[in-house]
Amino acid sequence: MSKKYQVCYADEIPTGGRLIVDIAGRSVGIFKVNDEYFAIRNSCPHKGAPLCRGLLDGMVTGDAPGHARFERLGEIIRCPWHGWEFDIKTGQSVLNPHKVWVRTYPVSVDAEESVQTNANCAGPDPSIETYPVTLETTNTGERRLLCIHL
Amino acid sequence: MNNVVDQKNRKKMTIVDTDVHHGYRSKSDLFPYLSKFNAERFAEYGIETGFSFGFNGGVRGRRAELVDENNPPPKENFFTSAFDVEDTRVRLLDGSGIDLAILTGGIGQAASAMFDVDYASALCRAFNDFSLEHWIAKDERFRLVLHINSQDPNGAAAEIDRLGSHPAVCSVMLGCGAPRPFGHRLYHPIYEACVRNGLAVAMHFGAEGTGVNPPISAAGFPSHYIEMRQIRSSWYSVNVASFVFEGVFEKFPSLKIGMLEAGFSWLAPLMWKMDFDWKGLRRQTPWVKKLPSQYIKEHIRFATQPMEEPEDPSQLKQLIDWIGGSQILMFASDYPHWDWDDPARTLVDYPEDFRRRIFSENAIDTFRLSLPSISKAA
Repeated sequence: MSKKYQVCYADEIPTGGRLIVDIAGRSVGIFKVNDEYFAIRNSCPHKGAPLCRGLLDGMVTGDAPGHARFERLGEIIRCPWHGWEFDIKTGQSVLNPHKVWVRTYPVSVDAEESVQTNANCAGPDPSIETYPVTLETTNTGERRLLCIHL
Repeated sequence: MNNVVDQKNRKKMTIVDTDVHHGYRSKSDLFPYLSKFNAERFAEYGIETGFSFGFNGGVRGRRAELVDENNPPPKENFFTSAFDVEDTRVRLLDGSGIDLAILTGGIGQAASAMFDVDYASALCRAFNDFSLEHWIAKDERFRLVLHINSQDPNGAAAEIDRLGSHPAVCSVMLGCGAPRPFGHRLYHPIYEACVRNGLAVAMHFGAEGTGVNPPISAAGFPSHYIEMRQIRSSWYSVNVASFVFEGVFEKFPSLKIGMLEAGFSWLAPLMWKMDFDWKGLRRQTPWVKKLPSQYIKEHIRFATQPMEEPEDPSQLKQLIDWIGGSQILMFASDYPHWDWDDPARTLVDYPEDFRRRIFSENAIDTFRLSLPSISKAA
């Protein structure tokens, strides 16, 4: 059974941003794509590189020689070592989606009072780039908590 | 795919990294080592003929996670080398447990393709002086490949004589591209100077198809970076054949050559073909007295990176066996490039004596290295 870990306030990760945290001995990257959050393990299945520190951009496809299309901005991460691409929504690699993939974790956005545990969450890795945060609150003034299920 | 050597095991093994790219942060770093005349030209035009292909992988060739977005390398510094000594010590030497790192730069290959040989030689001298003062002097684990302008062989020999006795200098850099392949006698003053100074040759591509060099393939220039990468093995093949059939190793029996970032999966068929052809064509190059593959095995070593990954890993073992087994390869990481190899995840499933040859002993023999006192004690 998975366990729920409180990571941060939801408004601390802006759209297009990412946060890398150590949770229960695992390094995990959490990404906000449009209004949704996704989490993947920060370790490339190829050579164990810190995948979540790679280049975050879109999917490039081409239907004919010389024609390249760029779509799904912010949904594809490119590993900093050797450049393998992964879909952060599914964890599947672009090069071989069914055989090469990175572990994903469910993310939920919860009201503050519903969160019970914060065990073993070491918080943001200080070596990771940080993002300016604009605090947003709900109509009632409550901040929502981002939780990850490992 | 993702096997890793455990930390305890890794600690025990000496690691020599034969391809670490170092450089300067800004062009102005080289000004103190250039005459006013050349400093002005360098400030204005830099490496005017450029490098072999504009596109690369990663972030301008580097591993994305090494690039500090708040303090990025200036655009003018696009040759993808590490430019921060302290960062390299922490991340690579300490972080990956490297006992010796051979610093390969650099700009020597590009300089060797320049139109103005005097400017090119001045840049090589400046880069060597800069490297000794700002890299070699900062850590006893660094060793240097001297940059020379190969299109001025006598000038190159003078530079080798100027700095070749420095204890941290271990070899002399040649690119792969040149007006004639590097076995040609016009380059022999360079090898005479190498032998005179007890230095190996390090060959690393870098400026093929630029300046005075011919196009990067016999069919001209490809469109895409990924195509260019497939041509690289031909750059090394032509020089391997040239060294052997021009009789370089008969003339310079103590000369050793390290081929860096060449890969090695192409080597077995080349050895077979050279040997087969020699049997029927020997009389055209009678100074070649042994099987060509024998010269390769005695004189040339190949860096491990970049290494192909066949679906069945036993095929890689077979391939290495074909080209000389534990004797022929030397570990290289290619730090800080996007396609680097982490030593903790390289050739993991091989016997310890095999790994010892490849991770240190072959490089120590080829480049006549001595380990820092700290490593010796350990």
